[in-house]
Amino acid sequence: MSILSSGSFWAFVGVVAGIYTILALGLQVQFGFAGLLNFGQVAFMAIGAYTMAILVVKEGWSTWLAAPLAVVAAAAGGLFLGLFSLRLRADYFAIVTIAFSEIVRYVATNETSLTGGSQGTIALGPIGTASQYNGQWSRFEGRVQHAFGFSSSDATMLAIVWTVAVVLLALTWLAMRTPWGRVLRAIRDDEDAAASLGKNTFAYKLQALALGAALAGIAGLFYAWEFSFFSPDDFQPLLTFFAWMILLLGGLGRVWAVPVGATVFGFIFAGTRFLNFAPFTWFASDQRAYLRLIIVGLIILLLVLVRPQGLLGNKREMVLE
Amino acid sequence: MTPLLDVQDVVRTFGAVRAVDGASFAVEERSITGLIGPNGAGKSTLFATIAGSLKPDSGRIVFAGARIDGRAAYRVARAGVVRTYQAARVLTRMTVLDNLLLASTGHPGERLTGVLLRPRAASAHERRTLERAHEMLALVRLEAHTHEYAGTLSGGQRKLLDLARVLMLEPSLVLFDEPMAGVSPALRVELLEHILAVRRDRKITFLIVEHDLDFVMQAADRVVVMNEGRVIVVGTPEEARTNEEVVDAYLGKAH
Repeated sequence: MSILSSGSFWAFVGVVAGIYTILALGLQVQFGFAGLLNFGQVAFMAIGAYTMAILVVKEGWSTWLAAPLAVVAAAAGGLFLGLFSLRLRADYFAIVTIAFSEIVRYVATNETSLTGGSQGTIALGPIGTASQYNGQWSRFEGRVQHAFGFSSSDATMLAIVWTVAVVLLALTWLAMRTPWGRVLRAIRDDEDAAASLGKNTFAYKLQALALGAALAGIAGLFYAWEFSFFSPDDFQPLLTFFAWMILLLGGLGRVWAVPVGATVFGFIFAGTRFLNFAPFTWFASDQRAYLRLIIVGLIILLLVLVRPQGLLGNKREMVLE
Repeated sequence: MTPLLDVQDVVRTFGAVRAVDGASFAVEERSITGLIGPNGAGKSTLFATIAGSLKPDSGRIVFAGARIDGRAAYRVARAGVVRTYQAARVLTRMTVLDNLLLASTGHPGERLTGVLLRPRAASAHERRTLERAHEMLALVRLEAHTHEYAGTLSGGQRKLLDLARVLMLEPSLVLFDEPMAGVSPALRVELLEHILAVRRDRKITFLIVEHDLDFVMQAADRVVVMNEGRVIVVGTPEEARTNEEVVDAYLGKAH
């Protein structure tokens, strides 16, 4: 149990919760505010991470140019997906999004010359070299650690990720309070009624999809920097469903419910990481890995049963027709 | 005088069913025109076609001198033709006030570029919209519910909110789909008064689909009667009431 009492382990859990916050915030914009059933959120995370890594390693770009462009690329991915599929009915759109995210993952796996293929980013450069994309990032992190006197690089990363997350949460919160955000909520409630009030609902849905995708792209950047290496397998559809669980845990249509849901989810997920006590020790360790997912699922099921509106959600909004 | 709305030979089919089968009629400016007919006559389809939610297979719809058939619903609404729905489509999970604030055209704050680049214009527009929203709430006497979710309102109150929301848009033509359906007798009188007052004070034209013939006879200047996808009679309420074909359509030939 010693690892559970180590500060760096919990700092790591906190960093991941921060990254999930940004990923799930994108989903909150898309589904919680605009009603778009996006089951392919992880694709935009992959586009963000890969665009940055490829530009840095293959093109020799500065991280500080590559990162914004990676976010733009993720947003462009959202626009591309939306232009072709947003006119579909909600359930068909949902199917297209999950297909889109798998297409992105398969392309990343098979376009070896572009992405390094299944070996991941280590194979981005010429054969025989182990490529790194986060040299500049590590130096920046070191400077931040020195400037603020953080005790470890884990603590530094925790501070950076959550600072960015809080800024993005605040911006989203402000955006949703504008008349623009009001139109989004109207579309979520009743798209036809919004159209009959003169709102170009397609344009709004496209914007929500692209903005949510940009947020996922930012999450992808931090994912890449935190782990210093990634491969297509990191962007399984499961990650999208983690973001959905966070949304359901926290509550729909509430910006500040996202970090709450992400933190609770992060701790449940981390807390079930080492089930090295009875009765779990009766199982082999590879079986325990699956047992863990079952237990996480059960805990979330229980929480949603007890509080169907989520931890910060509004129960009245669920019953109004 | 050219009519405000001119529906010419509009056809709309669903598979083999010709829901609207060559309908033609005109709506004069500032009139209250009732669109009546038995169930399945094609009234609702025609309504949706005028409003732009359905495209006609053929025919023309001319509004204020410009063709609007084939335009997207939101563009028809922006041109000044605003529809309501039979069951008032209020936004239930938003407050009554938010429902009204949504009904403003050309709001810079409703565009991201406006929010970022023209914050002053956006907040000025928002202030004006807020003022008008409170005016409208007073008009339909829903002030007490300003900050409640619209989903908590009764059916009749939702109709009033819908009417207020439509008036916020300052339309030239309101397409009113069964305003009296599901409305209590007390509110019926109120709703009728509102419609008459609005026509008088705001120069708004109404095209109303309604099953309540008493209401149509009371409120409408002209009546358009549809049956089996076609317009069979256009005239005053009195002419429609006594027309042989209309009686046949409603009661069957063997009455």
